[in-house]
Amino acid sequence: MNETKELSRRNFIQTAIWGIGGLIGIGFGVPAIAYVVGPSIKSQQTKTWMRLGPTSKVELGNPTLFSFTVQTQTGWIQNSQEISVYVLSTDGRTYIAMSNICTHLGCHIRWISDQNHFFCPCHNGVFDISGNVVSGPPPRPLTRYDVKVENGQLFILVGG
Amino acid sequence: MTTKINQWLDERTSWRKVWEVIFLRKIPKVNWFYTLGSASLFVAVNQAITGILLTIYYVPTPDHAYDSVQYITTQVPLGWLIRGLHHWGASAMIVLVVLHMLRVILFGAYKYPREVTWFTGVILLLVVIGFGFTGYLLPWDQKAFWATTVGTRIAGTPPLIGDYLMRIIRGGSDISAVTLVRFFGTHVWVLPSVLFLLIGIHLYLVIRNGISAVPTRGK
Repeated sequence: MNETKELSRRNFIQTAIWGIGGLIGIGFGVPAIAYVVGPSIKSQQTKTWMRLGPTSKVELGNPTLFSFTVQTQTGWIQNSQEISVYVLSTDGRTYIAMSNICTHLGCHIRWISDQNHFFCPCHNGVFDISGNVVSGPPPRPLTRYDVKVENGQLFILVGG
Repeated sequence: MTTKINQWLDERTSWRKVWEVIFLRKIPKVNWFYTLGSASLFVAVNQAITGILLTIYYVPTPDHAYDSVQYITTQVPLGWLIRGLHHWGASAMIVLVVLHMLRVILFGAYKYPREVTWFTGVILLLVVIGFGFTGYLLPWDQKAFWATTVGTRIAGTPPLIGDYLMRIIRGGSDISAVTLVRFFGTHVWVLPSVLFLLIGIHLYLVIRNGISAVPTRGK
């Protein structure tokens, strides 16, 4: 079987068909992948300081819920998305802002003051007053935002 | 290695035999006009691939159809290419199937024993026109809206049944959300099912009967 392969007409055509077919396949496949995954890997919006409200609204030693809406563009639709944040202050000077989104699978947690814990309704995740996991499946503490206070107003850093 | 895998598969599926029957069958000496059917099939596959991709972003409702098409064309990477291939492929499809039909007529290829291939071809032509008609409405722009207004009015011209026919096609007396969704459903579910079934029969018959030779004088 070591005879030199001579390029017959049949072999040439066969190779050409597979070659051209492969090129057409790449011609469809590569744009298809770019087309499907493109919007998923678009960069998020830039970080901005969002005003929550006056610091006087925060009850000392009790997580206080602040809500605000942000305008987002998803696909061709402009929508306003409501974001809620729990702000905790024990001394009236330092503030921590925690996301109300459970770190397990994204449900909204709620502060139950009688029991002094945050509870997630989906899979019984429980967090303490400063957002650390007490029990249940959440893998890490509640996400915190950077906070600043200007002229008695609370700001948090969102986006990015 | 590949030979071993091929052998293993062939023992269980006889794919070599299938391959031979489809691609290594004997054909008479023919010319380039005989490639029009394959060209139509190629464009049909193009329409299927690009059409499936378009449905990933397209939304068939009056408040989103136009915007989602604009989004595909201007925002999605290579969206203009996918939409362009589908748009121009649609026109190419009509041209190719008509040329294919003319070749079959002029070469007398519809004659015994290939009449059934011809019959399925006639229905396929109607299906392709149906694709063109239903697809034209989907971008939901002015051209789409008025073309469908006119097109459905034409369906309304026959006496007695005309008005019912137009209302059935439109899903009511006016062109509305109902019209858009039924055109979409027809375009992406009904017609493709019919098309692929008929292409299957059509190709089976082409292989079953072989292709006709170029006719010669006095034969």
